[in-house]
This record gives sequence, structure tokens and C-alpha cells, in this order.
Amino acid sequence: MPENERYIELEANRFRDHCIALYNSGRYYPRLMFAADLRQSNDCFRIYMVFSEKEKDIFHIPFFDLKENAPVYKSLTPDIPAVHWYEREIRDMFGLIPEGHPDLRRLVFHDSFPSDSYPLRKDWTISRTDLNEWGEGLIKKEAYKFMEVEGEGVHEIPVGPVHAGIIEPGHFRFSTVGETIFFLEPRLFYTHKGIEKHFEGMSFFDGVRLAERVSGTSSFSHSAAYCMAVERMADIEISEKAAAVRTMLLELERLYNHIGDIGNMCAGTGVAIGNTYGAVIKEDLLQFNKRLTGSRYLRGINIIGGVTSDVFLKADDILNTIDAVTVEYKKFMKMLLGTISHIERLENTGKLSKDIALRLGVTGVAARASGINDDIRKAHPHFLYDDLDFEPHTSGKCDVYARMMVRAEEVECSISIINALLENSYNGDLSSSVKTIPAGSSALGYTETPRGSVFYWVMSDSKGMPHRVKLRSPSFCNWPAVPFAVHGEIVPDFPLCNKSFNLSYSGSDM
Amino acid sequence: MLKKILKNIFTGNRTLDVKEDNVSPVQLKKKMDPVFGRSLRIRQVDAGSCNACEWECTALTNPVYDIQRYGIDLVASPRHADLLLVTGPVSRQMELALRQTLDATPEPKIVVACGDCAIDGGIYKGSYAVNKGVDSVIPVDLVIPGCPPEPGRIMEALVQMMEDIRQGRS
Ligand code: SF4
Repeated sequence: MPENERYIELEANRFRDHCIALYNSGRYYPRLMFAADLRQSNDCFRIYMVFSEKEKDIFHIPFFDLKENAPVYKSLTPDIPAVHWYEREIRDMFGLIPEGHPDLRRLVFHDSFPSDSYPLRKDWTISRTDLNEWGEGLIKKEAYKFMEVEGEGVHEIPVGPVHAGIIEPGHFRFSTVGETIFFLEPRLFYTHKGIEKHFEGMSFFDGVRLAERVSGTSSFSHSAAYCMAVERMADIEISEKAAAVRTMLLELERLYNHIGDIGNMCAGTGVAIGNTYGAVIKEDLLQFNKRLTGSRYLRGINIIGGVTSDVFLKADDILNTIDAVTVEYKKFMKMLLGTISHIERLENTGKLSKDIALRLGVTGVAARASGINDDIRKAHPHFLYDDLDFEPHTSGKCDVYARMMVRAEEVECSISIINALLENSYNGDLSSSVKTIPAGSSALGYTETPRGSVFYWVMSDSKGMPHRVKLRSPSFCNWPAVPFAVHGEIVPDFPLCNKSFNLSYSGSDM
Repeated sequence: MLKKILKNIFTGNRTLDVKEDNVSPVQLKKKMDPVFGRSLRIRQVDAGSCNACEWECTALTNPVYDIQRYGIDLVASPRHADLLLVTGPVSRQMELALRQTLDATPEPKIVVACGDCAIDGGIYKGSYAVNKGVDSVIPVDLVIPGCPPEPGRIMEALVQMMEDIRQGRS
């Protein structure tokens, strides 16, 4: 078992108190909550909660067991609001009921999915008819009731799932008063692909390709976190060289995303040249990714035990490209910061207070822009991050502008990390050969994606095959914060606010 | 009309043999203008992709590829579209929305399945929550393989399709 994971077995009634005590101490971030079906081995379901300590590289993981005939536990949500989606997700996937949860509507499954059907239970099956009816979407089996805002002059605007731009599908229901958004309810999970269950049907080795395809623009961070989880579970140490390659590519992924995101925010303010400029630099970086790794989205590099290619052999190309990108990027930022019409729209728009961000467990750029000093690269150093001297970039302004500026500072930070990595040489083989995975073991893996922290928790069965793969993408944490950020803004500012978070639907819908 | 011609050419799904990043603007334009009178309107529909495919579609409009040069544009509504460019394996929860989008598209509605997922479910094939590609939900006229297909490849495939239509006509 990895050294920084401390599992604590508790009685069901003690679990809740324990978690609340950890949470209230203010020394821990709640990171994720999930369940596993252990009825075959232990005759129970098990629910885990992962806290990470703020000052130390330690995960506290209390867990408790639930019997199938009494699948009810006391909800943590009233005390730890950050787990509200997790508890609903666990209910949808395992049928374990959080008693006292303020919102027990289904989260993942839409109306025509059968009731009392829980895909992550090991003995789950579904009939052809149910599957077809689910897809046709005509029969409502468990109707979802949108929240209703009543009052004089309240107007409802439903949008999506198919939107006007080239973006992912999701449904948004605005309750407005005049032009002002009073309340927004997102209905997501249109792109739910059953990924966690799908992992269970393939070997840990094949799972890497799937992890790369959870959220397209975070392909590398996802697969790196997944590989890290499996490697920790199997007690495999990757070489310094492999760690260097991973660190380099994580930063390159951050680079193209952040620059692209800053550009995309210009689409929300109608600054066409900024949007285009960002797109051109991003395209340069994607083409560079392809030269470096054969894939514009950095796929095919991570494998269990290391990496497939030594990008440091192309150090010249890296250096030249990064130099050229730096020059362009500086011009780009100078232009944006000098465009008053752009900046004015960003400032004081889409504010997310630190208090709400903390309570909802927001992660990544969105958290740091609301003053939360949290970055997994720093909090739980992995690969070569411990050797690198950098600080998380935060801002106390909490608005769209802050989210742009945190990205901008992180771009510069990534550039210096890349340059620093190029100054050294690294030893070891690209990968160590791994043939088997130990039975009945488990571990966490994590990275800081461009959007925030991603976690994988893997558990092997008695044959060393995946028993459970839990994945928690940053977007899953951050979606619930978007309605708070847009409350009180005007409808035309919604796209801008949304872009400033730039969340992945596929990543959170899984 | 157009749809009929297409159907004749593509008996079943057909994979085009396209070379990546090998697009000559002048030649492309010459090929395309006679076919669509300088105007092809595309509505992109994400039917459960991982989102990398969408980013490649978005890249089509950046100044590097600048697909608008050829009279091709990506439009905001299926009502304005000649062609649906569908990505993703068609997750079950997007199935209805995809059918409705097709219904809202005027004839001739060309449907292109873009990316390995859209062709047969790709990496997600076999999962309870997805279909086996666009073809298993609505009729498909052309497929563009790749995971994701790069922008140059998407562009070439579209142009090749237009060329085939033109030849089918003459
Ligand atoms: S084909 Fe590949 S890139 Fe496209 S949606 Fe599927 S997994 Fe993502």
C-alpha cells in the first residue's frame, strides 16, 4: 500500500462523525467519495472518503461497510456540502441511499433509465428493451423535476443539450428576472458513457487507452494519473527518465489548454482577434505535440510502468517551439490586457467567493482564482514536481478576470518548468516491464490537469484484473460552482463565465 | 436529390483514403465550387465524444485551416445545415437529441460520422451506455476515421465527398 494513503476502517455510525471532525478542523480538503461492491469477498458494499492533508503529503481515507439488506447511511452533505454530487452518484451507480441528503433526484441517469437499476453493482444486468427505451428517451421511468423559481416577472429559459457553438452537450435552465440570472440549474450527463464500468471489462494495461479518452484535452493528465494509480498499486517505481517525460508532457498539456482557454474567453466578449490569436498559438502547440509524440493530444505515450518515447531526444524542437510560443504569447497577452472592452467585461463578472468555492470543493484554476492555494503538484508531489521550484498562482479577485490571470501566470510557470526540465539529463529506462498486477490491492493516482486535480482509485480483484476503477475529474467538482458564479449576472455573460471555467462534460459525465 | 446521389455512391459506409495535412487550397477550391456553389453549411453534433473530436472540428475554422475559404462554414442551427458532422459513439442519453437534430435538418441531410467512436463506438464499444456508432441510430453517408481525425483529414474527406458527388452527377 502506498505510503501516503492512510486507510481507517470505521463503524457506519462513526464514519460520519469522523469525516465531519476532519472537515471542521480546517486542515483537510475533501477530495472524493466513492463506493465499491465487495459483496463477493466481504459480503458488503464499502464507501470511502478521501481527504488530503493541507500541510502534508498524506491522504486520510476513512471507510465503512454497508450490508446489501440495509443500504442506507446518514448523508454527509448537510455538513460537508462538497460531497453532494458524490452521494447522488453513489446512489445512481450502487443504490446506496444517503439519508437526509437535501436533493435525492437522480444525477447521472435521465428519465428513461429504469428505476432501481444500479450499473456498478457486480450482478447488474439490463434487458435489451430497457436499453432501447433508455436510448429512445420517450418513456419517463423516473421523472426529473427541475427546480422552479416562482415570483413576479420570473422567466425561464431552457438551453441545450445541443448548443449553437461547437461544444459538448448539456442542458441549462435559467430562471431570469429581466436580463438577470436569478437561478441556473444545469442538467448534465448527456455524454455518460459508462466509463467506470467499461474499465472493469478490460485489463489494467488496456485501460490506459480508455483513460486517455475520458476527456480529450486532458488525455495526458488522465492517463498519467491512471498509470500512477496502477503503478502504486503494483509497487512499481518508474524511472527518473519516465518521470521527467511525464512532467514535461503534463506541462505541455497545460500550456496548450491555458493559451487556448484564454483565447476562447475572447469569444465570450466578442474580441474576435483575441480568439483567433489564441487559436493560432494553440494550433502551433498541437502541431508541435504531434511532432513530439505522434499525437496532437499527447496520446500513446503513457503505459503502465513508464512511457513509450523519450521526448528529450527532441530537445532542440522543444526549445525552439517554446521560445517562439513565448514571444507570441507575450504579444497576445499584451494585446488582451490593452483591450479595454475585453478587460471591462471580465472584471467583477462571474464572482465565485472563496467561501463557496471551499464548501463546494472546487479545484484547479477556479479554486486558485478564488484564493484557495491548492495545487496537487505542490500538495502531493509526484513525478519530478518535488525537484521543481514553483508556487501555486492564486488571486483573491474571484472573477472571470482572476481566472484568466491565474491561467496566464500558470502559462509562464509551465514555460519555466519546461525550460528547467531541459537543463538536466535523466537516467533510467523509458519503462520497466510489468506483466502482472497483484491481486486484491488498491491505490490512488493523481495529477493536476489544466482544469484541476484528477483522481483515479484502482482496485484489483483476486486475479489481478480491475475490480473497481473510480475516476474523479476536476469538472465533476466544479460544475456545481458555475450556478453560484453566474447568479446575479446577465444572461449574455453566461458564455463568458462558462468559458472562464472551461469544464469538460465528457470528463464529468463519464 | 443530392441525398439520392450520395446514396448511390456510398453503398454502405466507406472509408476514404485521405492523406493527412495535404491540402492544397487552390486545388480544393477548384474542386468544391462547382459542387456546392461555394456553400456548404455544417452543423456539428457531439453525441458523446471525449471532446478531442470537437476541438479538431473547431480547429477547421482557425486561420491555419480556415475552412471558410472554401465556402464551408459551421453553423449554429441544424435548420441552416446541409450536413451533420456527428462525433462520439452516440451515448444513450444523447440518442433522442441526435434524432431530433436530424429531424430539424432540411433535406438533403448528409450525415458524416467523424472519428472512430462515431464509426462503431470506438474505445467505448460494448459499454452499456453507448450505441455502436452513429450508424446504429441514424443513416450515415460518409465516415472519417481517426481518433481524433486531424483537421486536415476532415477537410480532405469533405472535399473528396463533394468531388464524388460531382462525378456522380456527370
Ligand atoms: S474518436 Fe477518439 S477523439 Fe474522437 S471522440 Fe472518440 S475517443 Fe475521442
